Amino acid sequence: MNKIDVACIIDDDPIFIFGAKRMMELSDFCKSFMVFKNGQEALNNLKPIMISGEDVPDIILLDINMPIMDGWEFLDEFVKIASHKLITIYIVSSSIDPVDLNRAKHYKTISNYIIKPISTDTLKEILEIELSK
Amino acid sequence: MSIPNTQKKSSIDLLDFIQERASIGTWEYNPTSTILNWSTQTKKIHEVPLDYKPNVEMGLAFYKEGYSRDTISTLFTNCIENHDTFDVEIQIITHTGKEKWVRTIGTPIVENHKCILVQGLFQDIDKKAKNSKELAYKELLLRKTFETALVGMAIVDLEGNWIDINKSLCNTFGYSREEIENLSFMDLTHPDDLRKDYKAMMKLISGKIDHYEVEQRYICKKGKTIWAKLSTSLVRDDHGKPVHFVAQINDVSQIVETSKKVNQLLETTEDQNKRLLNFAHIVSHNLRSHYGNLDMLLDIIKMDLPETTDNEIFPLVEQAVSHLGETVANLNEVAAINIQKDLNTEPLNLSKCLNGAISSISAMILESKTTLSVNINPEQYIIGVPAYLDSIILNFLTNAIKYKKPNVPANIEISTTIKNDFVVLQVKDYGQGIDLKKYGEKLFGMYKTFHKHDDSRGLGLFITKNQVEAIGGKIEVESEVQVGTTFYIYLKTHE
Repeated sequence: MNKIDVACIIDDDPIFIFGAKRMMELSDFCKSFMVFKNGQEALNNLKPIMISGEDVPDIILLDINMPIMDGWEFLDEFVKIASHKLITIYIVSSSIDPVDLNRAKHYKTISNYIIKPISTDTLKEILEIELSK
Repeated sequence: MSIPNTQKKSSIDLLDFIQERASIGTWEYNPTSTILNWSTQTKKIHEVPLDYKPNVEMGLAFYKEGYSRDTISTLFTNCIENHDTFDVEIQIITHTGKEKWVRTIGTPIVENHKCILVQGLFQDIDKKAKNSKELAYKELLLRKTFETALVGMAIVDLEGNWIDINKSLCNTFGYSREEIENLSFMDLTHPDDLRKDYKAMMKLISGKIDHYEVEQRYICKKGKTIWAKLSTSLVRDDHGKPVHFVAQINDVSQIVETSKKVNQLLETTEDQNKRLLNFAHIVSHNLRSHYGNLDMLLDIIKMDLPETTDNEIFPLVEQAVSHLGETVANLNEVAAINIQKDLNTEPLNLSKCLNGAISSISAMILESKTTLSVNINPEQYIIGVPAYLDSIILNFLTNAIKYKKPNVPANIEISTTIKNDFVVLQVKDYGQGIDLKKYGEKLFGMYKTFHKHDDSRGLGLFITKNQVEAIGGKIEVESEVQVGTTFYIYLKTHE
């Protein structure tokens, strides 16, 4: 296996989604995507998927500042799902606020905090880590 | 002797005793024989020898010239001619030249409508007179003080009626004395503060407190409310019974108004500051996300559509986006410095920090052939944040190198002096210099550059100033165009 099966992007910015998808395609990152525009939408869709165990995403790229349900709220709900540990979560945010960076450290489910913009190099690094697991 | 010869010896002694103890002498004048007799005590009061033989002229001459002598002459003549008794308090000048207050009493003894003898008393009342005069003077002084005091003062009875008020009190409330006399203390006090006032008065009377001070509202003649400071104390008689209140009223409206304004300003400023920081935060954050997208899209274009990048415009777009990124980063940094309230400052070895900064740009120093001379006590410690101090030193060094004179390598001298609680780090260059008259005020402003230089962005000094101030220091500058610039960086000393 040299690709991630399913990558999930939770972000409200269509430009970022377009860019991230294209970057992933260009760097041969994953076989398929799952995109949600905010935490609530993601939670609503991810819950049944995780219960059924089919097409569960391997990683989630999670934005912090989103309408309706932001990244932190999503995380608080997400850790209540039984099988959440199967999924690696990366925070991908343009916030360089130390408050956000520190807060991220308090979540065990968060594997890393990536400051936007993301590059193909970053994606390659993530891929290496994920594939070596 | 003035004592009639018929008196017995023992009674003469008693009379002498009384005369001496009471400082009262006697005298006697016979208009027919014109003989004047003074008793021993009378002589003592005049401070003349006991064998002194006075006559009328000599006697009158002892009275102080002017009012005293004129008065006694008239009264004495009146006594003999019109048979009027006199009793007067006037002054004499004694034989030894002392001024004395005396009481002289004279009574005519009349036979067949003719005065045959004048008998009189002569009393030394100097002490008493002086005391009462002094008292009168003190009273006058007190009254004047009361009347002319700039503080409004009032003496108020236990029911709140005026006993006495001064001019300032009238002025404070804008009433005339007559008008205010028809009002009571309660009429002037703001209704909302009256209850509190009344309670305090009761406490004063009951002895729970011995004075009372409060800032409260009063109503002026025109109905305007003023703020005044009231200080009240209670005067009691010798038996501890309350007699009256003494109140001082000081108009503090202006002070209250001013402090209100100051507080409002402070609040507004704090509020604006908060909003500004919040704004900077949001702006920098939002700008960051847009910049991130732009940068990402450029990356994609390069990979996806390499043919579109092979032109003059694409590299410029790339450059613009990269500059945008830097600006946003700087903005973030400034906002971060200002937002952070509790900095983790620590003692730092200035020399070590300086050497660290120098070695990190050693390539730049070598390449530019910069001469650097450093003269710093290796044991000098300052209070700061490592990252800030590093950035501060680096900024001044790189600036000095950047703004060197064209065609001449930079020459930088670094030294320190101690000024009170500060270590002043001096960074002197012999570079282009800055026209402080033109740019002085803008020197540390955001995005101000003074030199045409590829690399000047103008944010460096602004951030540096913020960082220096954040660790409790300040920056001063001396500069002359074509001569050079010296920056004085005040850093808090660590003992």
